[in-house]
Amino acid sequence: MIEYIIKIKRKTKNIFQDRWVWKMAWRDGRHNFSRLSLFMAALVTGIAAIVAISSLNYSFQNELDRNAKELLGADFVINGNKKFDSAWKEFLDSAKVKVAKDADMASMVLFMNSGNSRLVKVTGLQGEFPFYGKMVTRPTDAYLKTQIGDYIMLDELLAVQFNVKVGDSIKVGTKKFLMAGVVTKIPGGGAITATIAPAIYISLSALDSTGLIQYGSRVGYSIYVKTKDEQETKSLLTKVRPLAKRLGNSIETVERRKEGLGRTFRGIYQFFSLLAFIALILGCIGVASSVHIYAREKRDEVAMLRCVGSSGWQAFNIYFIQVFVLGIAGSLVGALLGVGIHQLIPIVFKDYLPGNIQFALSWRAIAEGVLTGAIVSTLFTILPLVSVRFVPPLTVLRSDFLPGKIFSRTRLAAIILIVLFPILAAAYQTKSVISGATFSAGIAVALGCLVLVASGLLFLIRRFFPSKASFIFRHALSNLFRPNNQTRMLMVSIGLGAFIISVLNIIQHSLLNQVEFKGNSNQSNTILFDIQSSQKNGVVDLVKKHNLPLNQVVPIVTCRINKLKGKTIEEIRKDTIRISDGLLTREYRVTYRDSLIRSEELAKGKLQRYSSGKTDSIFVTVSEDIGERLLLKVGDSVEFDVQGVPMKTIIGGVRKVDWPKDPPNFIFVFPPKALADAPQIWVVATKIEDQQAAKFQKELVTSFPNVSLIDLRLVLSTVNELFERISLVVRFLAFFSIITGLIVLAGAVINSKFVRIKENVLLRTVGARTSQIVKITLIEYGYLGLFSSLTAMILSIGGGWLLTKFFFEVQFAVNYGELLLISLGVVVLTAFIGWFNSRDVINTSPLQALRKES
Amino acid sequence: MPEVVLQAEQLTKTYSSADKKLTVLDQVSFQAEQGTSLSIIGPSGSGKTTLLGLCAGLDVPTSGSVSLMGFKLNAMSEDDRAYVRNQFVGFVFQNFQLLSTLTALENVMVPLELRGEKNISARAKELLSRVGLTDRLQHYPSQLSGGEQQRVAIARAFIASPKILFADEPTGNLDEENAKQITDLIFEMNRQEKTTLVLVTHNLELAQKTERILQMKGGHLIQDSRVQIKNQI
Repeated sequence: MIEYIIKIKRKTKNIFQDRWVWKMAWRDGRHNFSRLSLFMAALVTGIAAIVAISSLNYSFQNELDRNAKELLGADFVINGNKKFDSAWKEFLDSAKVKVAKDADMASMVLFMNSGNSRLVKVTGLQGEFPFYGKMVTRPTDAYLKTQIGDYIMLDELLAVQFNVKVGDSIKVGTKKFLMAGVVTKIPGGGAITATIAPAIYISLSALDSTGLIQYGSRVGYSIYVKTKDEQETKSLLTKVRPLAKRLGNSIETVERRKEGLGRTFRGIYQFFSLLAFIALILGCIGVASSVHIYAREKRDEVAMLRCVGSSGWQAFNIYFIQVFVLGIAGSLVGALLGVGIHQLIPIVFKDYLPGNIQFALSWRAIAEGVLTGAIVSTLFTILPLVSVRFVPPLTVLRSDFLPGKIFSRTRLAAIILIVLFPILAAAYQTKSVISGATFSAGIAVALGCLVLVASGLLFLIRRFFPSKASFIFRHALSNLFRPNNQTRMLMVSIGLGAFIISVLNIIQHSLLNQVEFKGNSNQSNTILFDIQSSQKNGVVDLVKKHNLPLNQVVPIVTCRINKLKGKTIEEIRKDTIRISDGLLTREYRVTYRDSLIRSEELAKGKLQRYSSGKTDSIFVTVSEDIGERLLLKVGDSVEFDVQGVPMKTIIGGVRKVDWPKDPPNFIFVFPPKALADAPQIWVVATKIEDQQAAKFQKELVTSFPNVSLIDLRLVLSTVNELFERISLVVRFLAFFSIITGLIVLAGAVINSKFVRIKENVLLRTVGARTSQIVKITLIEYGYLGLFSSLTAMILSIGGGWLLTKFFFEVQFAVNYGELLLISLGVVVLTAFIGWFNSRDVINTSPLQALRKES
Repeated sequence: MPEVVLQAEQLTKTYSSADKKLTVLDQVSFQAEQGTSLSIIGPSGSGKTTLLGLCAGLDVPTSGSVSLMGFKLNAMSEDDRAYVRNQFVGFVFQNFQLLSTLTALENVMVPLELRGEKNISARAKELLSRVGLTDRLQHYPSQLSGGEQQRVAIARAFIASPKILFADEPTGNLDEENAKQITDLIFEMNRQEKTTLVLVTHNLELAQKTERILQMKGGHLIQDSRVQIKNQI
């Protein structure tokens, strides 16, 4: 015989040139469409979350770029906490720039129409503020009225809350004002702070006449400056900065405001991105897991194709095209859903967002979402599909034939890219590789812990299998260990969603527990502040008259730090050891006493009494947290500037302070007498029941107009409400993860359909009734839900404890009832999805099944 | 002299398990000429299917060599062997091996589609008509009886005008009547297309329809009945 051809001249075509693979992908896919769609549905939720979060980010960034100057209302602002030095007037006059001024402080106001009072931010305005953007009022002349007479404007929400209308009287301090209108929009207006302390607006000169500004009042003063152009801003700022430093003022520029807002938002954005990304990764793992089973089922067909001449790549491409096309479709659907969610954000958060953010469609976010979907569906399907390339044609003769381990460069590349992808994607979003790596490490740790706990639980179930339980319970449990059942994967996927929701619940409960008043009958819920020494006895009498407890009556002295351990602030700033500038230059409100209160315990040192006459023996105590940040320990010296008088002190002790408990609490506590002669104001802490509140507040505002009252219950309910809204988003994203898990579950149920039909046929043949098979199915998925939620609970209690202890630094508190409810929800939902997708299997008659088999 | 289509030389196949080696085929040599038919018979585990797999290039021998239409199969990559199969080989299997998601017509067209040929549906329809399935073109395998599925498989095997047809127990899953019809069909088409037929079977009656019988036992070729052909290189 002549070997007439030695080498094959085989034409190879790539995926785009080979029409046959596209044709085969369609032919094969049309019969697996519902199943493949389910795999890809797992991508939808993750992509939707990513597009929604990303769109929100772009909306916010656009807003920052579009209205950068409107955020401030001026080119720059000079801030201070006391009246401005005359040097500023001289400087600004000579610079010939336009200026506007404001001063704000917290105070009580009395609504004369109803007799109600409320702590508000009183803002005195003067000049043409704002220079950029618009202050929108209703009626439009309201602002003008405040500048020429005793008129007042209110934040819209406040006016609605207290039913105040134009012409109504409002008492601020000792002066009455007439309501001129409401402010619906003001540059720089922070919607969230406005909810806690809504603002009222009067003229700056009127503020002086209210009698509110007294010794110890915390007033913030600002000068808004408008320049001709950017050039002038830059040149002015070079002169303004040294002057501000010399006079103890701070400067805020448009860029700085933008940066600050951007930074805050970035933190929130990154957190939500993490949740969205986890949902996506979970979906991808679900897809990979399902495609793995799909590829395995296709072995015989691939082997046949190989027999009749298909190359390994051609066989691979057939299935790759199917999952890739559906991946793109899933991404598009996800992107659309994400856009929908983005459009819902202003509706859900309407009270907490600055009114002027435009929630426009972000094509960039959509493109990024679809691209992300395309990349992940490629990466995560290549890995399980690679095996298709190596299906030996011999399988048609021997179905159990397994080739040895085959090294595949494609598989290796896919693994490397899967590891790199989250890092690169996160680095793209955060513009930092380190953040990207941390982000990915976070995901890996979270998933790793879940896998570990899920594996541990499964191990324990096998180890302590209830062999004496009834047949139905035993059989349902052993079904979880059916080959290809993806039980661990499902536990991780469903468990993750439940974990996020539970951790959130624990954090919320722990935080609120800190300021909850129900459990502690004596804890103060109302703080009266800005009480002048001359008013102290009067306020105390008023509290007593209303039969309220006097929990604390404490003096407050304001001071600053001059020197730490013998070094001046300037010297410390030059040091390599970093101490926050804010801590070095801030004004400290300190008190004096010789005992600890309920919220304190002495961590180090001791409480020492003041020996008069020795100026170097004033032993003060410092709170542990701030002490650490100021690098102070027992025995270190601190020199304070008490109203212009230098006072040398020594750290005598360190107090551990439970800040939210029994307010007010202090960073520095002096011994009695050391500050007895210093100018001081007083704070009274008491507990007021709901029914007493209005009457007491009214009398307080009438008798002591400058004294303010913080109703901690109001703060609590506002914080709680805000938390609820944030929780809504987190829960929503966590729910995405659960939905992903349930989609993966539905996929797994469908994947195992034939195995389960066989099992059921066997059971029916030996006499099982339909009701028994239904019970087995329900219990099997009930178990799955139970173990998923158990995984979630174990981790959420651990994770919640870590977060509350080290991040939020609050006492760990769990509402087990609510956690049980979450678990129950997961069990019911999982059992339902499992049963719903198994109806076919349950209702298939043995004969039908046998026919299908043959 | 007829052209040699298939030549097996000293074919040995050994599988390694944990601690021992299992030789399922030991030094088997034979050749098959164009247009002839031969069957491989023997008890279960004698190495019949292994021999067929090696000859068709579905697997590679541990030692020895297979030449199919002049191509040294063991020197080729899997994808190159797939190309050779597509060009020269047809298969009929015991369990039909139709692609469940393709219609009868689509199943038959696959080998020619893989070659990149166009306008092939007429040829596929003609073949399906020859096997008696004119009215079953758009049926899926699950909608066909076992005999009908095997007819589709035969049509698929012959559509690419193979030089050699490998049939592994082609009637093993069929009833007597269907088995007879399928046997007749294979031999008839084999004659018409002048294809070399290599048949693996337990069925002695079926084997006797071929021109040669190779009898296997314990991995050895123990008898090559009828005409002994001298190896030619």
